[in-house]
Amino acid sequence: MSDDLVTLSVDGVEVSVPKGTLVVDAAKKIGNDIPVFCYHPKLEPVGMCRMCLVEIGLPMRDRATGEPLLNEDGTPQINFGRGLQTGCTVQVSPGMVVRTKTDPVEQARADVIEFLLTSHPLDCPICDKGGECPLQNLTMRHGRGNSRMVFADKLHMEKHVPLGDLIFLDRERCIQCARCVRFQDEVAGDPVIGFHNRGRHLEIATLSEPGFDSYWSGNTTDICPVGALTTADFRFGARPWELTPVATLSPHCPSGSNMTVSTRREAKAGGRSVIKRVMPRQHEAVNEIWISDKDRFVHHFAESADRLTQPLVRKNGKLVAASWTEALDVVAGKLQQAGTAVAGVSGDRLSNEDLFLFQELFRKGLKSNNLDLANGRLAGGDIVAQVGISSGSNLKDLGKGDVVVVVASDLHEEVPVWWLRLKQAAERGAAIVTLNVRGTRLDKYAKHALRYVPGEAVATLRQLVNQSKVETDGQSDDPIAAAAATVGSAGNLVAFYGAEGLTYDETESVAKLLANLLLLKNGDGHAGKKNNGLIPVWPHNNTQGAWDMGIHPSFAPGYKALPEAGLDAHAMYEGAASGTVKALYVLGADPIGDGLMDGRGKLDFLVVQEMFLTATAAAADVVLPAQSWVEREGTFTNAERRVQRYYPAITPVGDSRADWQILAQVGERVGLGKPALAASLVFRDVVKAVKQYKGMDYRSLAKYEKQWPDVGGDDLYYGGNAYENRSGLGQQWVAAAESGKVGMFEVAETAVKSSPGLKLVRTAALYTPGTLISHSAALLGPRMAQPTLSLSTADARKVGVADGNRVEVTANGMTMTATARVGDAPDGVALISGVAYVPGTAVVQIRKLQEEKVA
Amino acid sequence: MIQDKYAEEIKGILARYPTKKSAALPLMHLAQREYGHMSREAMQEVASILDLDPTHILSLTGFYTLYYEEPVGKYVLEVCNDLACALKGADEFAAMASEKLGIDVDETTADGLFTLKTVMCLAACDRAPMLQCNLAFHEHLDEAKFEALIAKLRAEAASGKMAPSVVEKIAAYAKQS
Repeated sequence: MSDDLVTLSVDGVEVSVPKGTLVVDAAKKIGNDIPVFCYHPKLEPVGMCRMCLVEIGLPMRDRATGEPLLNEDGTPQINFGRGLQTGCTVQVSPGMVVRTKTDPVEQARADVIEFLLTSHPLDCPICDKGGECPLQNLTMRHGRGNSRMVFADKLHMEKHVPLGDLIFLDRERCIQCARCVRFQDEVAGDPVIGFHNRGRHLEIATLSEPGFDSYWSGNTTDICPVGALTTADFRFGARPWELTPVATLSPHCPSGSNMTVSTRREAKAGGRSVIKRVMPRQHEAVNEIWISDKDRFVHHFAESADRLTQPLVRKNGKLVAASWTEALDVVAGKLQQAGTAVAGVSGDRLSNEDLFLFQELFRKGLKSNNLDLANGRLAGGDIVAQVGISSGSNLKDLGKGDVVVVVASDLHEEVPVWWLRLKQAAERGAAIVTLNVRGTRLDKYAKHALRYVPGEAVATLRQLVNQSKVETDGQSDDPIAAAAATVGSAGNLVAFYGAEGLTYDETESVAKLLANLLLLKNGDGHAGKKNNGLIPVWPHNNTQGAWDMGIHPSFAPGYKALPEAGLDAHAMYEGAASGTVKALYVLGADPIGDGLMDGRGKLDFLVVQEMFLTATAAAADVVLPAQSWVEREGTFTNAERRVQRYYPAITPVGDSRADWQILAQVGERVGLGKPALAASLVFRDVVKAVKQYKGMDYRSLAKYEKQWPDVGGDDLYYGGNAYENRSGLGQQWVAAAESGKVGMFEVAETAVKSSPGLKLVRTAALYTPGTLISHSAALLGPRMAQPTLSLSTADARKVGVADGNRVEVTANGMTMTATARVGDAPDGVALISGVAYVPGTAVVQIRKLQEEKVA
Repeated sequence: MIQDKYAEEIKGILARYPTKKSAALPLMHLAQREYGHMSREAMQEVASILDLDPTHILSLTGFYTLYYEEPVGKYVLEVCNDLACALKGADEFAAMASEKLGIDVDETTADGLFTLKTVMCLAACDRAPMLQCNLAFHEHLDEAKFEALIAKLRAEAASGKMAPSVVEKIAAYAKQS
């Protein structure tokens, strides 16, 4: 047996667990549920609630000889000490004997419950947690059924304390376990709630500005073992037992976070099944049991009142309702009429099935390669196919000796779950190297935080890559050399890259340089090994799938290079303006609203397939109403190339159809044959076309195995209310480097262009206004990132702008207004956030606007 | 702003600790001495000096009884009513004191002279009922002794020969330790 395993017995059952395991976890492994309130397997133990008291005995030894003392029958003598011990703070040791079913233990449990209930209002009938409440369940199991305390002596406290806009506290219900406080401190690194006062008067409070306003706040309501913390979304919304849980995925985040939507049929919704809440679904290799507040609260767009409910066709200059048959006939006819001057752009939130059929429609139906992402900010899908993070990797495995490089990305804003997991990797000892245009929140946990000047990112990264090949003693005053020494000595190496401050071409060079870093040592490098590889910080949940499906002017599905490339999105938009592109199909995107396209230009025909009447849809000839992700099924591929399924949860809105259905019906009309009847059948065709997906089908994607720690189901006392994953863990496709050698990439030397003047760089914000957030405004409206321009103090003085001024920002022919913030940017760079799109890294003109006089 | 007014003193306090966070309690004493109590603004100020979230300072203020979140009178009367004292009539004593002063527990008299509080164990169980007034113990109390104490304090205040205020005394003790 391995030295790292310790064998003990719990109620007579032997169990072997890794050294350092706590008694409660060891018992849990063999299905022995030691009750807990304050303990949580993802948090440091504190032993505050005393619910986990058990008898713990250790083998006795002769003091003189050190030999074990034996009973007459040869069994070891066990010393149980004088009292009970907290199973959540005691680590296992060899030969330990734990007793969890004895009278003193049952007595202790009953006593702890009785004490907890003296200060608890017992308002279960109106409590949101009632029915899935650890306190309720453990009271039923271990409580005495009555109380010796005087009911009238109960301390009554405030029941509706808003800790922030999203989270409410019921002070009476709190049992002071501090799970929420510890989560915010230990896991989220955002300690904005704390204990205030002591004893019975203790309460959860915040003095932070603006209150409990963390990207992770919703998770505290999942792990709260009582109904003390509730979300503004679910509060008084439904009883848990009325809810139907349906497995789903984040509709926007490239992490592919696993979630559950809980639905209920409601009379007030006309008998429709509607979403009552969104909660995490456990996937230890993806999002563990955490989701960001955006994931949790953004779902309202799906049931927004301004969803499109029927096809619209432009007649006499006006969009009017039409039948599906009429609309589809017009679309198919007009697309065919355009001949080779037809083009299509798509968003990257659609499913693989949708995107694959879009590609089939263009390549096979319309014989056109004019196909691209509407707002492709980040290149390198083909490079990821070569050296992407190896299948079977898990960021949770990274620790001491491992290195993570993050280039041109603010993960806290772009993919919060990755930020969380990298923070934890750093806490386990992994070295993080960031290379950004400005400071980000990850820098606090980074060993090296490097900067580049806009336009010089590739040159700076090249320096880092080249120097990491050189053997050094790691001692250097030059920050790049010091970081290179760290990277050069990496055990495992994972590299993330994003697009902040980079042109599209630059992102491709960055991806190639990082690929070379992973491939160093003549092919015997990191690439292809478990827990090594490249991860693109894609803008959306299925950008990876869009690359895989061939939504690209030069790649067919599966990264097969096309003999003749089509137009890319920018060429299409220019073609629309000049008249060389005659018909444009916009699928789940809003290029006009995002400022990519200046109106419909000289297009003969514009068809938009959308959930909402976006600016682009309003300019279209035909608008096809599409279903949101919760109304249909499909697959998304996350940025770690994990293909995962999501399932239909609510009744479709109006006459809308699933995107893949609409595309199949258009396809039928241009001669592609009978449309597939189910998404699973479309996926079969995907697998035939995309060789990387070989071996996958809807059944294999739905396979799951028990996740540890044991969260969900009947175990909610232990890890909180996140759902157990019973609907599938998905499958990761294998990058080329895992199965064969991959050659180094050529990266052309680029001259550093240092044009004078301030450079405009768009920075990400989690709540940047977009189609989803703007239609979930009731909850997320106040959090939406307003356009903000950050300047250094020196630059602000130069352009004559003070903190708080309204400014007009012009770059590459695009003009925006924003509020100025002074002091938060490096010299020479103007950072703009809260806007969807900024062209290139342009030199920017800034003009202060006259303040409107407020009477 | 204590940051400007006591720049040197703050520098000295920070220098005593390996991390800024450890200097929280002494800085809070300094802030309380300056402002008379730990107002929300004082907490925020201390937090910003230490680069901490203000919530952390709020937690500390709530945990320790010698930080006052509300303004207090010149004399803070803290009656112990923990179990042993309660058995010897501390609750009745506190009710009597409350009636004599015409204020509830945790309130301050209109003249700003007295604040009445109840506190947990002052380690004088054998001399209950007892209270501490600006950190000085008064033991084996009854109604007459309490009235005498109040009269004495009123006279002291009227004479203008006030002893240091409670927050000054607390800060001074903290400095010694």
